[in-house]
Amino acid sequence: MTINRRNVVLGGAAVAALLPLAARAQTSEVVIGVIYPLSGASAQIGVDAQKAFATAAELINEKHDFDLPLARGEGLPGLGGAKVRLVFADHQADPQKGRAEAERLITQEKVCAIVGTYQSSVAVTVSQICERYSIPFISADNSSPSLHRRGLKFYFRAAPHDEMFSTAMFDFFDAQKKKGQKIETLALFHEDTIFGTDSSNAQLKLAADRGYKVVADIKYRANSPSLTAEVQQLKAADADVLMPSSYTTDGILLIKTMGELGYKAKNIVAQDAGFSEKALYDAVGDKIPGVISRGSFSLDLAAKRPMVGKINDMYKAKSGKDFNDYSSRQFMGLIVMADAINRAKSTDGDKIREALVATDMPGEQTIMPWARVKFDEMGQNNFADPVLLQYNGGKFVTIAPPQAAVAEAIWPMP
Amino acid sequence: MTTATIIQSLASGLLMGLLYGLIAVGLALIFGLMDVTNFAHGEFLMLAMYISFFLFAFFAIDPLLAAPLVAAAMFVFGAVIYLVVVRFAMRAKTNIGMVQIFTTFGLAILMRGLAQYFFTPDYRSITQSWLGGKTISLGGVFLPVPQLVGALVSIAAFGALYFFIKKTDFGRALEATREDAGAVALVGIDKNKVFALGWGLGGALVGLAGAIMAMFFYIYPDVGASFALIAYVTVALGGFGSVFGAFAGGIIVGLVEASTALLLPPSLKSVGIYAVYLLVVFIRPRGLFGSI
Repeated sequence: MTINRRNVVLGGAAVAALLPLAARAQTSEVVIGVIYPLSGASAQIGVDAQKAFATAAELINEKHDFDLPLARGEGLPGLGGAKVRLVFADHQADPQKGRAEAERLITQEKVCAIVGTYQSSVAVTVSQICERYSIPFISADNSSPSLHRRGLKFYFRAAPHDEMFSTAMFDFFDAQKKKGQKIETLALFHEDTIFGTDSSNAQLKLAADRGYKVVADIKYRANSPSLTAEVQQLKAADADVLMPSSYTTDGILLIKTMGELGYKAKNIVAQDAGFSEKALYDAVGDKIPGVISRGSFSLDLAAKRPMVGKINDMYKAKSGKDFNDYSSRQFMGLIVMADAINRAKSTDGDKIREALVATDMPGEQTIMPWARVKFDEMGQNNFADPVLLQYNGGKFVTIAPPQAAVAEAIWPMP
Repeated sequence: MTTATIIQSLASGLLMGLLYGLIAVGLALIFGLMDVTNFAHGEFLMLAMYISFFLFAFFAIDPLLAAPLVAAAMFVFGAVIYLVVVRFAMRAKTNIGMVQIFTTFGLAILMRGLAQYFFTPDYRSITQSWLGGKTISLGGVFLPVPQLVGALVSIAAFGALYFFIKKTDFGRALEATREDAGAVALVGIDKNKVFALGWGLGGALVGLAGAIMAMFFYIYPDVGASFALIAYVTVALGGFGSVFGAFAGGIIVGLVEASTALLLPPSLKSVGIYAVYLLVVFIRPRGLFGSI
């Protein structure tokens, strides 16, 4: 038989088609879905998140001398050294796209677990799909408290939620009042999806319980072309503390519009989101020295726990940015999930879920200021202590709670 | 609610409205000229903002000085888009409306994708400019200087455009082509040239708007989307194809948005705009100043 050109092409095609199969058979791998906004208005978050997850995967798959679960070995020892492979999906901040992408990850990409999603509104639909297919889902960086109260069996969150965060803020207010500062009135400013709504509900309740007067509770449409009307109302209220729950775009526009309308807030204590993003401080940081944001991560921890600084360097080499509240939680999300899969010694959804339920990771083995990672019956980790950070001289300093603080808060804002 | 609050709202609404008008007029012009809705209009605005940003970042040119440069660059861009893309879409034998929609819509997605790839999705802003962050206070009413200058530029641009269309040969050719593209060919006017210049002019106008907006708004690949939506409403309100309609429509949208926010919770402020839009569609479908 002579080999003509067509045979060669066909043969090549057949070999190419079989190659992935062969590769899969040789090195077994664990496929985890990661679902984030990779395009659209919050694409920047997703693109940074990819780097954070890649950093975590690198730590798991390669040998590193850190006291972090799975760092010291290569791959997952419980599954014969299987490597973690991430499949990224783009939900464009749209809950319906999130639903479709989660379904695609599970049915087409055969992922054994999913981590996501930045926007809490998208976490709602993604976690419902995961529940239906018995695939464990970790909310790496969603903070809406209602997420873990929906009776889902496959939902887990290692990080704090907005009630815990808001409680930290009000504890801080109480402490400042004891020191003789005047904090009587609050103005809430929040976007109109589940993140902003849940956050403001938590804050309204805490304000009522602890005797603070909410003089303005302004809900606005996310990604508005203008916030003039909203800022006018904030200005008229002129509360002792302005408490925004805003994503990056609206956060930048809020501060710019405040400047344009001649309104300087007495104090700002922000519910994270846009107020932990470098982009916001690059754009308007000079206008808000002393702004306080809640967080669950602080680079100050590197002084006590050197691996935090080293892992931050790994992330910075990839992204050009320091870990912030989001990228650090994303990193931990994958570590917690991979640790559970490793202990489950299986990629079966129910077995991974059992392992997640049994998770008990000491705080020292994380990059967070948390006491430990241990989930309650609703999948929430109540041992994740939030911190308050103050933006001062171009960087964040931990100012509360007292056990984590490295500096006194500057209050009122300069 | 005090008098100062009301005046402040209306003043802010008027300034924003004049800018909405400037953003929308290019869309109205192109539609009036050749019945093509440019669904990539928001992306034209995005590109203009990025050009202003890069002129500032690399050459330290203030956005105010850069405005004519941005307008010129966007003129070229608009004309090239017509000659390279839209001209061919117009040759479709069947379903020409659909082909045009998909062409400009596809262009929008492509431009967004390229912007995210080359410019990264990071939020940019021009932190230091002559006018940025400056505000004039008149008896408790605050007028941000960039928006104020933007409003003046908008009025000047509309004045120049009016003069251009009514008094120059090319303007008359533009009007004539819009009325009967077949007949102008008989008197020796090159239709393609007129269309290309129309697209260029549309691009230049949105370029001007982009340079002004770069002074006070953040810049990222999707920034055009929310402004484009308002531009479509503005054009539909003012009347498709009417340049003056875009001007009036912009002011109406700005004022309605501001007054809705006074009466209703701010999260519902766009409800007013769409309510007025619906009203116009019911009562006068061709828009307030539409001639079609």
